[in-house]
Amino acid sequence: MSATTSTTTTFDDSRLEELAQQRPQAPWGRRTGSFRTIVFLAVLIPAAIITVMWFYTEIPKPILMIAVYLPLQLIASMIAAIAVRGTKSAADAIIIVLAIGATIFSLVVLVSLLWSIITKGLQALSTAFLFQNNEYISPSTPLGYGGVGHAVLGTVLIVSISALIAVPLGVMTAVYVTEVRGRAVPYVRFFVQAMSGVPSVVAGLFILTVLILSGVLNQSAFAAGLAYAILMLPTVARTAEEVLKLVPEDLRTGALALGSTRARTVLRVVIPAAKTGIITAAILGVARVVGETAPLLLTALKNDRTVLNPFSDPISALPTYIFDNVAQPYPDAVTRAWGAALVLMIIVAVLFVLTRTLSARGPRK
Amino acid sequence: MSQTDTETYRDLQSAATSHRGDRVFNRTITAAAFTALVVLAGITVFLGLQTIPVLQTQGLSFLTTSIWAPPDYGIWGMLYGSVLLSVIALCIAVPASLLLSVFMVFLAPKGVSKVLTNLVDLMAAIPSVIIGLWAFYIFDPVSQEWQQLLNQYLGWIPIFQNESGNFSGTPFTAGFVLAIMMIPIVTSVTREVLGRTPPELINAAEALGCSLWTMLRYVALPYGRGGLVGGVMLGLGRALGETIAVFFVLKIVFDPVNYYNIIESGGGSVATLIVSKFGEASGPYEVQLLLAAGFFLFMMTLVVNVIANLIVNRTGRLQK
Repeated sequence: MSATTSTTTTFDDSRLEELAQQRPQAPWGRRTGSFRTIVFLAVLIPAAIITVMWFYTEIPKPILMIAVYLPLQLIASMIAAIAVRGTKSAADAIIIVLAIGATIFSLVVLVSLLWSIITKGLQALSTAFLFQNNEYISPSTPLGYGGVGHAVLGTVLIVSISALIAVPLGVMTAVYVTEVRGRAVPYVRFFVQAMSGVPSVVAGLFILTVLILSGVLNQSAFAAGLAYAILMLPTVARTAEEVLKLVPEDLRTGALALGSTRARTVLRVVIPAAKTGIITAAILGVARVVGETAPLLLTALKNDRTVLNPFSDPISALPTYIFDNVAQPYPDAVTRAWGAALVLMIIVAVLFVLTRTLSARGPRK
Repeated sequence: MSQTDTETYRDLQSAATSHRGDRVFNRTITAAAFTALVVLAGITVFLGLQTIPVLQTQGLSFLTTSIWAPPDYGIWGMLYGSVLLSVIALCIAVPASLLLSVFMVFLAPKGVSKVLTNLVDLMAAIPSVIIGLWAFYIFDPVSQEWQQLLNQYLGWIPIFQNESGNFSGTPFTAGFVLAIMMIPIVTSVTREVLGRTPPELINAAEALGCSLWTMLRYVALPYGRGGLVGGVMLGLGRALGETIAVFFVLKIVFDPVNYYNIIESGGGSVATLIVSKFGEASGPYEVQLLLAAGFFLFMMTLVVNVIANLIVNRTGRLQK
């Protein structure tokens, strides 16, 4: 060993780590010109055949894709693989074709979803739609009157209430796991995980029996906020735990060594150090619940008027507004549903981008 | 952090917590940490309490018969329907997610794979009510065409039989929509699990002349087996509890129970039953029935989730 190192003193040791991480260069796997030609042909020939059949035969299109194109493409890729690398790589060709197929399928679904939300949603969008409420509006009222203003306010109100409850509790749960480190840590983590699997409709039923049927509360924004909090808490707790774990141990020991108490260490050092991460956790929690519909149907019902009192009346939110308008026989009502879906999707997208940019800025492992 | 570290830390800490403020702090945090347990116990107890009178009046036939006509109620068809929908969803989502994550981890260039990760996460963030809206207006017509073709060419297979000629509100469509919702959830787990395969194992396999398929079959899949199963079960738990997306594309039918004709109109789902019957519930007893149905749904998802998490946690430890 030592002999080797002494002969390679000129070798830059700092690159060793980096080299160890790299996949081998594999000169034998270099793609030659003939390889490219064969792959190109294997893609082009089935595509050409299918294009011709698409336009000149009566075979239904789904059958054409599944029963003709897919087998053709598989066979072509297998022939190409065998020609280039030998029989052993035939299975690889199948995996690659299917993997690309699954990816394209998922992308088609996603694009179809986003495309329909945007194009159909834009038809409904107007200032009136964004700011008016649904009072005096029936499903057959033409577009241009009424809107989702009350539902947006409802969503903001309900989500704020649930965030006010779930974020502190979630962060405290995370603090228990990473800072207090009591004996019950494995159990607490287990219960949080189990709680993240509670179906949203069950969360709604729970609030319904405990608070509404027993007469403590009306169906209202506060009741809905509690149901949302049940769904939000596990997301906040798990994310906050991840970010608190990233806070360097030196900060804690340093603070303790300076004579700070445990509580002060957590409140003044650990949590401020993980501030961005905790905000991310809160936003992730909001994004998790903002589109939930089932709990609202049980705990908030609906209301065409604008409601600002969280305890008094039933209240509409964006998901329930969409839900009410989806299956209406009036095209304008359906367009309103798409419009509300676009507004909700924009909120979700903004939250999504926020979490991405925040976590990109936050501390890295 | 290893066990001994935690023990030392705890001793140090108990020496340091002689301070009164710290004791208060510790107790508050500990109390808050048990919120999850309190909520889970609360759901079990309160929904359980509502289930007792239902079982007293309806007897076990509440679980074994399929009827919703006063005074007889039974949710067997719904429980079975939830499982059937989840199985259909699994059959579509598991292969799709596995292939998608294989593409993202082993095939795609880094940049493409990063973009795909974000797109898949965005897909997971789309609210279920929007998926339901899309499914009702965009996907359902397409799905009906697919089902007609399935019936036309594969109708001799019992599961693809359809006598009524009505292809709307079928378990196939509902299961497919669930699959679309499951794919991003399952993919995000399987991608991570496959991505954790140690590069030295992959390099060794390649050095021994393994092809991609052989490497997957003998290295990556066995190595990540636990995590993969756990990810699938997490998706399954989500599918069992999904309400709104299914609501728009499934026709709830109690009798006869649709056991295997997946492209025949009519099926069941406990979660959807609760939402669809709640609005028209004619009195406290019907609400109680729905609460009891919710109790059994909760139990079903809890069991699936606990098993999933046990599997994921165990393999997580083994791999570290």
